[in-house]
Amino acid sequence: MEVEDGTMKTLMRLGVLLAVCGLAGGTALAHKVNLFAYVESGTVHTESYFPDGRPVEKGRVTVFDSRDRLLLEGATDHQGLFSFPVPKVDDLRIVLDATMGHRNSFTLKKAEVEAGK
Amino acid sequence: MRAARITLAVAAAAVWALTAGPVAAHFGTITPSTDIVTQEDDKTLTLEVKFIHPLERHYMEMAKPRRFGVVHAGKQTDLLGTLTAAKGKAPDQTEEFTFWTAGFQVRRPGDYLFFVEPTPYWEPAEDVFIVHYTKVCVNALGLEEGWDAPIGLETEIVPLTRPYGLWTGNLFTGQVLLKGRPVPFAEVEVEYLNASPGNPGIVQAPADAFVTQVVKADANGVFSYAMPRAGWWGFAALGEADWKLAQDGQEKGVEIGAVIWVHTRDMK
Repeated sequence: MEVEDGTMKTLMRLGVLLAVCGLAGGTALAHKVNLFAYVESGTVHTESYFPDGRPVEKGRVTVFDSRDRLLLEGATDHQGLFSFPVPKVDDLRIVLDATMGHRNSFTLKKAEVEAGK
Repeated sequence: MRAARITLAVAAAAVWALTAGPVAAHFGTITPSTDIVTQEDDKTLTLEVKFIHPLERHYMEMAKPRRFGVVHAGKQTDLLGTLTAAKGKAPDQTEEFTFWTAGFQVRRPGDYLFFVEPTPYWEPAEDVFIVHYTKVCVNALGLEEGWDAPIGLETEIVPLTRPYGLWTGNLFTGQVLLKGRPVPFAEVEVEYLNASPGNPGIVQAPADAFVTQVVKADANGVFSYAMPRAGWWGFAALGEADWKLAQDGQEKGVEIGAVIWVHTRDMK
């Protein structure tokens, strides 16, 4: 009886896990998010998009320096854009967190930041 | 209107059927240093523009192209001025021939469709001029947009398979267009570029028929081919132009080719 209970629980857990995968797994593969950044006239412009070109809306953007210190954060608009003044002349790691744990990052090299300042 | 369209399509098919017969495996080529640019990659592409026999590695002399450009985000940019002449030859050729190289800086995400319209090549052996409108697609930074749009060349293969990120063995499907219209039952020649970077060994054709693979399109000009080896694969749909060019005071026919190059990698 105890064994059966244990089996049931395992099966139920597996069921829940499969359901979660079914909901999230499909989109995770096809909905890889991307972030692209460039510097122009002292402003860092970021563009966040899915492979088919749709913008990533309301994605959380965090910006780190070369020592991994958080410099600033913000959110993408309905066009997937987020821009900010150059916070520091350094390697800037810009991280995009979209819904359901989709994440990607882009590193702007110090030289690029310097050139676009 | 509809009848006129059908007549045009039938006429186009007839011209194609008449001229596609004599197989000469000349291929215009554009090969970039990579078909996919990622964040970690150097954003500078090197492109080579040649007129060759891809499997046999033979070069032909190539004059400076008439047009060389790129389409990105729906915008066409002229790159003719970036071409530099270079020389090359196959190991069994004694003479060196001209080909062209160009550098290109990728600045934005998206698909980059590079294309070339060569200067007509006079082929005395076939008594025709040859013009291969050739293109290749490079994807940058994860944005997969633009690869399926026609450039608007006189004749063109529009891919129905995304033309990058392809595994060895994948089926490549494309549609042959002439002046923007599908070419029913177009004959498409397929060749492997033996000089593909990373090719572990030169492919020797066991018989002539292996050098150039031939597939025919369906009634909508759609063809497919499964690519059995890693490297660059060229697809060329050949037909005869409805215009002529003069050679030694005589009007000569012009073979026009729609050529596209795609790259495959082994799964490992």
